[in-house]
Amino acid sequence: MRKVKRLVYLVLTVVFMMSLLAACKKGDVKETSETKQETKDNGEKEENKQETKTENDKHNPVTLTTVSMHGGTDPNAANYQEINKKFMNDYSYITIEDDSQTSDQDWKTKIAADFAVGNEPDVIQFFTDANASDVLAADKFVTIEEIKAEYPDYAKDTLPAALEAAVNPDGVQRAVPTTGFWEGLFCNKDLFDKYNLELPTDWDKMLKAIETFKENDIIPIAVSLNNVPHYWVEFLMLAAAGPEGFTTVPESAPEDWVKGLEMFKTLRDLGAFPVDTDTIDNDFAGELFKNKQAAMQLDGSWYAGGIPDQDNTVVVSFPVIPGGKAEPGFMVGGLSSGFYITKKAWNDPDKRDAAVKFVMAHTCSESVQKYWNGNGTAAAKVEPLADMTPLGISGLNYSSAATSISTPTDARIKQEAYNTLTAGIVDVSTGARTPADLIEEVLQVNAR
Amino acid sequence: MLYKKKLPLFIFLVPGLLLMVLFLYKPFIENIINSFYDMTSVVKMPGQEWKFIGLENYKRLFQDTKVRTAILNSFKMMILSVVFQVGIAFLLAVLVSRINKGQHIFRTVYFFPIVISASAIGLLFKLFYNYNGGMLNQIMIALGKEPINWLSTSKAFSMISIPIIWSYVGFYFVIILTGLNAISDELYEAASIDGCSNFKQVFYITIPMVRGVMCSCITLAVTGALKVFDLPWVIVPKGAPQGVTHFLGTYMYEQTFTISNIDYGSTIAFVIVIFGVIVSKIVSVLIKPDKNL
Repeated sequence: MRKVKRLVYLVLTVVFMMSLLAACKKGDVKETSETKQETKDNGEKEENKQETKTENDKHNPVTLTTVSMHGGTDPNAANYQEINKKFMNDYSYITIEDDSQTSDQDWKTKIAADFAVGNEPDVIQFFTDANASDVLAADKFVTIEEIKAEYPDYAKDTLPAALEAAVNPDGVQRAVPTTGFWEGLFCNKDLFDKYNLELPTDWDKMLKAIETFKENDIIPIAVSLNNVPHYWVEFLMLAAAGPEGFTTVPESAPEDWVKGLEMFKTLRDLGAFPVDTDTIDNDFAGELFKNKQAAMQLDGSWYAGGIPDQDNTVVVSFPVIPGGKAEPGFMVGGLSSGFYITKKAWNDPDKRDAAVKFVMAHTCSESVQKYWNGNGTAAAKVEPLADMTPLGISGLNYSSAATSISTPTDARIKQEAYNTLTAGIVDVSTGARTPADLIEEVLQVNAR
Repeated sequence: MLYKKKLPLFIFLVPGLLLMVLFLYKPFIENIINSFYDMTSVVKMPGQEWKFIGLENYKRLFQDTKVRTAILNSFKMMILSVVFQVGIAFLLAVLVSRINKGQHIFRTVYFFPIVISASAIGLLFKLFYNYNGGMLNQIMIALGKEPINWLSTSKAFSMISIPIIWSYVGFYFVIILTGLNAISDELYEAASIDGCSNFKQVFYITIPMVRGVMCSCITLAVTGALKVFDLPWVIVPKGAPQGVTHFLGTYMYEQTFTISNIDYGSTIAFVIVIFGVIVSKIVSVLIKPDKNL
C-alpha cells in the first residue's frame, strides 16, 4: 500500500514539475520575442501590454452578459464582434457572453420577458423610443447622469445632439447611441436610363416610371405588403400629412393619414407592386431589387451596404403625393437605439466597471466610425470616408439635403397599435378594408 | 396482483405529474385567466397592472372574420387529412404489404418525409411556388407558358395542403402497415381457396382486421389538423395571401407574437383546446374505435 502511495506521489511530483517547466518555457518564449523588438514603437507597445496585463491582473474575473441588435444578418454584426474581440484582448479578465440577434418582433418579446423575470443582460443595445416602453416599464436601466457622476468620461465621444435624440419617451437619457438611420427611395438608375425615365422626384415622374416599367415587365416597386409594408406606411402618411400632422398622434382617424394610406390601393391597382406582394417576404422583395427585376424599393440606410451594384443605385427623396402637405425633400429617420447598462450590472462592483468599459468601447469615435461606415448618421464625430461608393455618396447627399426629418410612427404609438397598422395594409391595398377603419382601430388600441 | 405495494408506483408517477402540472396545466390555466385581461406585455412587469376586460375577447372572436376563415380551414384540413393522409397511407400500405421483396425500401422511402423538419419542407415548397424564379414557374417558362402565381388567393389553400398532406402520409403508412402485417396469412389463403378476389379480400378481411388501427389514425389525423402551424407559417406567413390560409394555430401565433395582442391570442389558444376536445369526442363517437364488429 505504501509503495502505491509513494508511486502516486512521485507521479504527481513529476507532473507538477513538468507543468512548471512548461510555464517557464512559455515565459522564455515571450521574453525572447520581446528581446527581438528593435523599434522604439514596438517596445512601447509591449510596455503598454505589460501595463495592461498588470492592470488586468488587479481585477477579479468578470463575465459580462450582453445583447445587441447586431446579430444574424445585420450588416454591423461583424463590426460588433470585432470590437468585442478587441475588448476581450484589452481586458483579459472580462469574458463576454453575447446573445445578439437581429431585431424583430419575436426578439423584442423575448427581451421584454427577460426583463420581467429578472433575466436581463448586463448591457443591452436596444430601442430608445416607444418600442422600448415595455422594457423601460421594468425600470432596470441606469441613467447616463448617474453613470457620469462616477465615470465623467462616459459617452464622451457622443455628440450632445445625438444623446438628446436618443432620449427615452419619459425624457430621461439612459442609452448611448452609435448610429442613426434614414429611410429613402432606392432606385436602380440603370433601369431608369435604359427606358429614358427621370428619377421619381415628383409624383408624375413616379407614375410615368410605374407605367413604363410595367409595360416592360420590370416590377416597378419591390415590396412585401404582407411582411414589411412599414416604410411605405411611413412615407405615404408623412407625404400626405406633412411632418407636423404625421408626428401628432390624433384621437380619431385624420383625413391626411387616410389619404396617405389610400395610395396603397391606387398603387396596387396600377400594378406597381410584385404580383406576389401578399406572399413574398421582405428578403425576396429585396432580391428582386438587387437582381434588377424591380426598379425601386423603399428601405433604410442599413440596406445600402448589401446592394451589390453600388455604382448604378441611387437614393432619392420620396415624391409628395397629390394634395400632400409635406415639403419636397422630407425624410423619415432618427436615432432610435443605444447601449444601456442595467442596474443588475451597475450594482455589482466587479461588473459596473466592466459594463462601463464595454459601452465606451462600442460608443467611442473609432467604433462609431466602423458602425457608421458611410451609412445613416453617426452619433460621434467621424472622419469622412475616402473610398465611399457612389451609392454611399448618394445616400449621404440625400440625407444631408433633407428638408425635414421625422421619426417613424412606431416611435410614438404602442407596439400593438403599430403592429395592427402594418398587419392591416394588405386589406387596405386590396380595398377589403378602408384606411379610416384601420386607423380608427389602431388609435383605439393605442388609447387602451 | 403484480405489485402489492402501491407506494413505489406513486413515487415514480409523481415527478411526471409534477412536470405536467408545472409546464402544461398551470400555463394552460394562466392562459385562460389571461384571456380575460388586456395584456400590455407578455409578462407582467413589476408594478404593472392589466385591465380586466371580461368576455371582450370572446365577443370579438364571434365577429372576427379571420377566425371564421381559420376554423373553416381547420375543418377542411381535417377532411383532407382523413381522406388523403390516411386514405393514401392505407392504399400504399395494402399494396406494400402484398409484396414480399423490397418492403423495407418502400417503408423507408414513404416514411422519409417524416424525418425532415417541417421548416425545411416549408422552405422547399416556398421555393417551388415562388413566382419569380420558383421551380414550378421555371418549368412553365421552359414549356413556353406564362408564369403562374401559385399562391394567389384562389390557389393558396390547395397549394399549402399538398405539403401538409404529403409530409404525413408516411407516418400513417407505417402505422397501418404494422397493423396489416399482424393479420395472419392463413386468412388470405383460406379466402383465396374459397374464391375471394384480392379486391374483395381488402374489404372483407383487411379493413375489418385493421379497424382499430384505422380509427387511431383517423383520430390522430383529425386532431393533428387542428394543430397545423409550422408548414403554412413557413410557406405563407400571417395567413397570406389576404388571410385566406389562416388556421387556428397560425392566427393565434400572428395575434400573439406578430401583433402583440397577447390576450386575444390566449383566447384563440383556449378555443383551439376546446375544439380539440370536442372534435376528438365527436370522432370517438362516430367511429367507435373500441367496438368489435
